[in-house]
Amino acid sequence: MTPPDAARPWLAFYPPGATPTIDAAPFRTVAELVSASARLYGERTAFTVVMPNGMYGDLSFAEIDRMSDAFAVYLREVAGLETGDRVALQAPNSLPVPVVAFGVFKAGCVLVNVNPLYTAEEMGRQFADAQPKALVIVDMFADKLPEALKICPIPNVIVTRVAEFMPAMVKGVIGLVQRYWDRSIPEVQVPHIRLPDVLAAGESQRHIRSIAVETYASALDGTALAALQYTGGTTGVSKGAMLTHGNIVMNMAQTMTFMEGHVKKGEETVLTAIPTYHILAFTLNLLGFFWLGNRNVLVPNPRPLANLKRAFENYRITWIVGVNTLFNGLMNEFWFVENPPKYLKASFAGGMALHGAVAERWLKMTGTHVIEGYGLTETSPVVTGNPIGKARDGSIGIPVPSTEIILINDDGQQVPAGEAGEIAVRGPQVMAGYWRRDDETAKVMTVDGFFRTGDIGTMDPDGYFRIVDRKKDMILVSGFNVFPNEVEECLARLPGVQEAAVIGVPDGAAGEAVKAFIVRIDQTLTDEEVRAHCKTYLTGYKVPKQIEFRTELPKSNVGKILRKDLRTEELALIATRKAA
Amino acid sequence: MVGAFEQTLLAIMMAFIMLGMGAALTPQDFKSSLRRPFGLFVGLISQYGFLPLIGFTLALLLPLSPEVKIGLIIMSCMPGGTTSNIFTYFAKGNLALSMLMTVNSTVFGVVLIPLLIVLYAAGLGITVPADNIVRTLIVLLVPVLIGMALRRWNANVGAIVELAGGALGIFFILFIMVSWVPRNWQFLVTTSPAVYAAVIGLGLLGFLAGYVFSALLKLHPINSQTISMEIGIQNGPLAMAIVLFSFAGIQQQQIVAVPALYSLFIVINATLLTLWYRRINDRSQQKLPDSFL
Repeated sequence: MTPPDAARPWLAFYPPGATPTIDAAPFRTVAELVSASARLYGERTAFTVVMPNGMYGDLSFAEIDRMSDAFAVYLREVAGLETGDRVALQAPNSLPVPVVAFGVFKAGCVLVNVNPLYTAEEMGRQFADAQPKALVIVDMFADKLPEALKICPIPNVIVTRVAEFMPAMVKGVIGLVQRYWDRSIPEVQVPHIRLPDVLAAGESQRHIRSIAVETYASALDGTALAALQYTGGTTGVSKGAMLTHGNIVMNMAQTMTFMEGHVKKGEETVLTAIPTYHILAFTLNLLGFFWLGNRNVLVPNPRPLANLKRAFENYRITWIVGVNTLFNGLMNEFWFVENPPKYLKASFAGGMALHGAVAERWLKMTGTHVIEGYGLTETSPVVTGNPIGKARDGSIGIPVPSTEIILINDDGQQVPAGEAGEIAVRGPQVMAGYWRRDDETAKVMTVDGFFRTGDIGTMDPDGYFRIVDRKKDMILVSGFNVFPNEVEECLARLPGVQEAAVIGVPDGAAGEAVKAFIVRIDQTLTDEEVRAHCKTYLTGYKVPKQIEFRTELPKSNVGKILRKDLRTEELALIATRKAA
Repeated sequence: MVGAFEQTLLAIMMAFIMLGMGAALTPQDFKSSLRRPFGLFVGLISQYGFLPLIGFTLALLLPLSPEVKIGLIIMSCMPGGTTSNIFTYFAKGNLALSMLMTVNSTVFGVVLIPLLIVLYAAGLGITVPADNIVRTLIVLLVPVLIGMALRRWNANVGAIVELAGGALGIFFILFIMVSWVPRNWQFLVTTSPAVYAAVIGLGLLGFLAGYVFSALLKLHPINSQTISMEIGIQNGPLAMAIVLFSFAGIQQQQIVAVPALYSLFIVINATLLTLWYRRINDRSQQKLPDSFL
């Protein structure tokens, strides 16, 4: 049952064209979406991969459709996979990604995105959990295969390359450079087949046996499993969030309709510099922008950021989907500052908190807004967003259509209006549960179907939400709650600070004390200056008692600062001090 | 000393190197330089103000033959070389700035180079054929334009031409080392220390002048490094081409020794400088997490 509008004050801020609910998914499955877009946009360019020196390769909507058909046929007819079988994909942003991912959906199989930078051990663990029947891996990472496959064997190993599907000459040059100059291509030491051979085999099977590819997924509906998306989640154990076709298609529609009026069908070029194996770029770029007939500019490796220069020069980038780190980093690159993108309409930031100072500088430099969205892997991922032009500083915005949010306490009861509580979400984007981990699923789902995010939030009276912090990161100073985000945000506004992380450390009298780790831009910045700055904006107990300057902060492979690593280091240090 | 075969090879290689340079450029680069005429001005002052003055002073102070003096003046009036772009790339400097300075100095060089050469040569009491120099310069601008057009037409072709041009620049240096040096060994050992001092000093003083000047203007350290590379590394192949097309006979062979020797030593010095700059710049790179960014 949809709640009455009094419970959804945010509806007043909905962009024109966005409805409170999306009653029917635009497609039953992702497979249908791919074919429908290909029919509508045919020969237009869907994906462009851009190398740091400007070399590029294109695939049109029609080509993507045809090639993903061939891949689906191979999986079913040659590799012998069946509906629901898992297929792992381990690749940086490149043309094989949409071909393989869409092919997996068309085959009625389940996609498992694997971070290419994982160690053999981490790969093996994820394989052991997901039990994929096939793996598609980019050759650069193949050195880890023998060890990973020892932990969990995979019957079908398909090898591809970053330059796959680029023009022959360019592919040759990139291949030579990678092999002999970078020496980044190891020998593949396990039995395997190459992706082009796979597609050729699939294509010929389809032809010989006149297979109608759509029959593979035609029996599936929205509740069918589409992807296992691995996440550390709220409890730290790596597990696969089961995302259904309905979850993904709906979340794509929820988010894209929210940007209505700013995304013109068939006219946008979106920069995809964040990896598509992460749920944010997967749902928004690979699917959302593709759905509306737009072009994805895929950047295989955005590090160093100068690798993005040619992409900005050669293409009229109109949208960027990114994370705080990307926007902040770009504004520290001289070539970007000198030539900010001219055709940019807006950007979407997710994955981590967007700092207000970054959004303000971005607006000043590019004249465009960064819309901050909020979500989790478990919610496919978008839960809330700031409508364009109605963004509120420090807010994660308002729920996207068909999404209910309540704030609850530890007992699962809703907290009184205006108070902080754990954000719990119900909507079509909420996952079906964790793969083969009912215990973990039970920890995060309430009896009435709300997903507990582990984030503490508040709601403004008119419906804008704010994240106060992660539940487990809260610091308790003499009985007062201190949220690290608030202190970090304050530190980020000090011009000499590049980035900062705040944690609680044991402190005899007060229970816990606030400790700040700071990476400086201005090397002359002192403790006293930092404290003086904090005192102007924060209550006494929130001001960092301890300050440590560092040259870098520990970060996860999705760019989030790892407070838990800092905490572990700090505790170990205290333990050794005590021992001494 | 430089035979007909080498002359032809040099001309073809020059054309390709310039083609590669053009392919690396966008109209945006020009716009961004014209928007800040100050930067353009700084570049031209360093390139055509300081360096010819250094060359002239060396020619005046050191005991050199008239031919070596002509060679030195020509060498010091050259625009930035494409090799400076390669070194800047490896030093992780400001590649766009380097290329832009190279192109700007080449374009403005059509007028400035003959003017300066004639002027300074007159100061030393020597005459040079200015019209030949202008002709050579204009011919060499054509491939730059073609390179730019190629890049605009197709980014893949542009990138390949750019790569090939850069590789040829390196090849040119290696070519001198393995083909020219052994055959002219006798010449190298009989050359006076003053000549070595002149060709090595020109590059080193160029690096220094470029850095000090831009540091005084409070430019970003990366830009100061880039400018110092750009000023110190002159277009050696162009100087050789100009000498070969403007002079003849024994005089030609004696003059061309200067750019040849200069090219040889600048590679060694620029390599050392590159390693040094690279270490500095590696330390100041933005630190980004492993994969998301």
